[in-house]
Amino acid sequence: MDLCKGGGTGLCLRGRIMCAQPGTNTKEAKWQKILYERQPFPDNYVDRRFLEELQKNIYARKYQYWAVVFESSVVVQQLCSVCVFVVIWWYMDEGLLAPQWLFGTGLASSLIGYVLFDLIDGGEGRKKSGRTRWADLKSALVFITFTYGFSPVLKTLTESVSTDTIYAMAVFMLLGHLIFFDYGANAAIVSSTLSLNMAIFASVCLASRLPRSLHAFIMVTFAIQIFALWPMLQKKLKACTPRSYVGVTLLFAFSALGGLLSISAVGAILFALLLVSISCLCPFYLIRLQLFKENIHGPWDEAEIKEDLSRFLS
Amino acid sequence: MAYRGAGGHGQPPSAVRSRVSPGSLSTCRTRTHNICMVSDFFYPNMGGVESHIYQLSQCLIERGHKVIIVTHAYGNRKGIRYLTNGLKVYYLPLKVMYNQSTATTLFHSLPLLRCIFVRERVTIIHSHSSFSAMAHDALFHAKTMGLQTVFTDHSLFGFADVSSVLTNKLLTVSLCDTNHIICVSYTSKENTVLRAALNPEIVSVIPNAVDPTDFTPEPFRRHDSIITIVVVSRLVYRKGTDLLSGIIPELCQKYPDLNFIIGGEGPKRIILEEVRERYQLHDRVRLLGALEHKDVRNVLVQGHIFLNTSLTEAFCMAIVEAASCGLQVVSTRVGGIPEVLPENLIILCEPSVKSLCEGLEKAISQLKSGALPAPENIHNVVKTFYTWRNVAERTEKVYDRVAGEAVLPMDKRLDRLISHCGPVTGCIFALLAVFNFLFLLFLRWMTPDSIIDVAIDATGPKGAWTRQYPYSKKGGENNEMSKPR
Repeated sequence: MDLCKGGGTGLCLRGRIMCAQPGTNTKEAKWQKILYERQPFPDNYVDRRFLEELQKNIYARKYQYWAVVFESSVVVQQLCSVCVFVVIWWYMDEGLLAPQWLFGTGLASSLIGYVLFDLIDGGEGRKKSGRTRWADLKSALVFITFTYGFSPVLKTLTESVSTDTIYAMAVFMLLGHLIFFDYGANAAIVSSTLSLNMAIFASVCLASRLPRSLHAFIMVTFAIQIFALWPMLQKKLKACTPRSYVGVTLLFAFSALGGLLSISAVGAILFALLLVSISCLCPFYLIRLQLFKENIHGPWDEAEIKEDLSRFLS
Repeated sequence: MAYRGAGGHGQPPSAVRSRVSPGSLSTCRTRTHNICMVSDFFYPNMGGVESHIYQLSQCLIERGHKVIIVTHAYGNRKGIRYLTNGLKVYYLPLKVMYNQSTATTLFHSLPLLRCIFVRERVTIIHSHSSFSAMAHDALFHAKTMGLQTVFTDHSLFGFADVSSVLTNKLLTVSLCDTNHIICVSYTSKENTVLRAALNPEIVSVIPNAVDPTDFTPEPFRRHDSIITIVVVSRLVYRKGTDLLSGIIPELCQKYPDLNFIIGGEGPKRIILEEVRERYQLHDRVRLLGALEHKDVRNVLVQGHIFLNTSLTEAFCMAIVEAASCGLQVVSTRVGGIPEVLPENLIILCEPSVKSLCEGLEKAISQLKSGALPAPENIHNVVKTFYTWRNVAERTEKVYDRVAGEAVLPMDKRLDRLISHCGPVTGCIFALLAVFNFLFLLFLRWMTPDSIIDVAIDATGPKGAWTRQYPYSKKGGENNEMSKPR
């Protein structure tokens, strides 16, 4: 105990000497980033090396404008899908579109899409998943049979609910579909199951307001085609042939706009503005805001375990 | 640890010496301070912050200052308690919200804290730990009352996610008009300066310490036919328990004469048990569960190598304790750890299973070839590094400096809040500071400072604990008792 005290006063003395002639001492001794030795500097000394290990934006990604525009097409596609769906429903509701015609077109485009789906990647995806054509046909048949069988039920399902409620519900469900859709972001909010379920629910709601049960059946089938099958084909198109994907997106967007224009000019203009702002303005702002990004990294960051440690337990 | 503990522990000779020392020390000192340590974390809770507060207070008392500690009530432990050497602890009746930290409204603790500050004639408020809401509350009230403030930060924080953005903003507000900040390592200082946007000149680096007499080597306790690796840490993600679960099978397969002793408890214990089960290592990996602080040394001395797998650490007392017990330390190179021990006493690795295994293998080969220094020699080197007396002495310098500074008056404080913390946050907290001030005026009107009793000093220059009572009966007894000695 006494020894320690002696050491303490010794340090105290050294400290005083240091204070008396700081010039000579500090020149000789170089500051080190260590704690186990008393250094001839005050405790609040700030060295030139202070914060030298600070790094900024090391994981930040640099975005290219056209690349971001290209990626934004997923959102545009999904908005257009919703728009096309609503337009088709409106035509059906008004009696301007015969259900048989829609069914025929839907079936034909589904078959084309089905063939394309395998052609694009040369059948590799099919080999990987190991799914046979027979299985595809079976599930398609089961689905169509059941929907057809239950379509009278669908028709009368919501009779006791007021039409306004149905519309409001459909709007919320379609919005939810857009929010939870898997656009490729790795976030907690993304849930493709929930998103698809909301879209189908919206389609059931809207279908129940159509004049006959055949209409309802065809509307739900169409919803499955546009909300479940079409995004799968899109994903593959985007991965394998980006050029044709851009073409398809533009075509789809213009047809959606055209359909909307035939119902309401104001709606079409607003929708066009929305599409332009999402695909052109938002990327521009993203890149502008990127300049203000200041992500700080340094030795104080919590280390990340990069290995897969589950192998030790399997 | 209370009154009785003092009588039981402190052997008469040392008690006499510590009675003498304050006087002899204070003669060479110009001024003494009335210090109030505030933190949510104190005994009976156990950890780095708690022992820091206790040890620092004891050494400051020894140096002739008056020290009191304020914390929140722990279950049945409430009211006022006295610890060794008359260290007075207030356990306040404030509601605990999460992880032993109290809930804060910024206002409800003012009446109690003001009463304590006035009663004890406190001049410097020293708050500990950025996780403690009470510490920040105390800083806020102390500034309103015009007292000097010091803050010690014990932890590191990232900048990436939303929660750290919010906590860092609150820290900026809390520290923007604090007189001085103490950090436990240079890395921690860099971190705190960035988080709270501070002038680095008002941030001092004063490391933690360990009591070297508590951590002495005992080479006979370990079996030299086998190699034992010791791990003592809480078994949580941040301490790298996942890495440990990869290291154990890897090394146990390679070295048949290798054993592990793991002390500590936590949610990640289950994965260590799974590893032990899967590789049939029940006789070679011992899981001891939670350890009391006094048992840590007895576990440490059974090993040859100490392994620390932390993913983030401001100072890491565990490796100093292990080195003090004469073990070779292998640790991850994170946070402030590279600053703590010299290169010949520690093997630093990257935070990955591969790198840590390489580090451990290096230590094992050194151990087998006899290249490692004897435990006694390591202990003798390490015991000079960190002592609480040194910490207290350096902290005292901070107090001296702070006591000479002026506390910002209300108008300047509001200006500083608004200019320093951003327009929105700054204005909100400036408004809160005004409310706090009005509340203080109201309290002063209700019970003026002049009618609040002054507490009897247990410690300090004229402390009742160290003073002999010639007049009272008790004092007489004391004198009689000290005569035979």
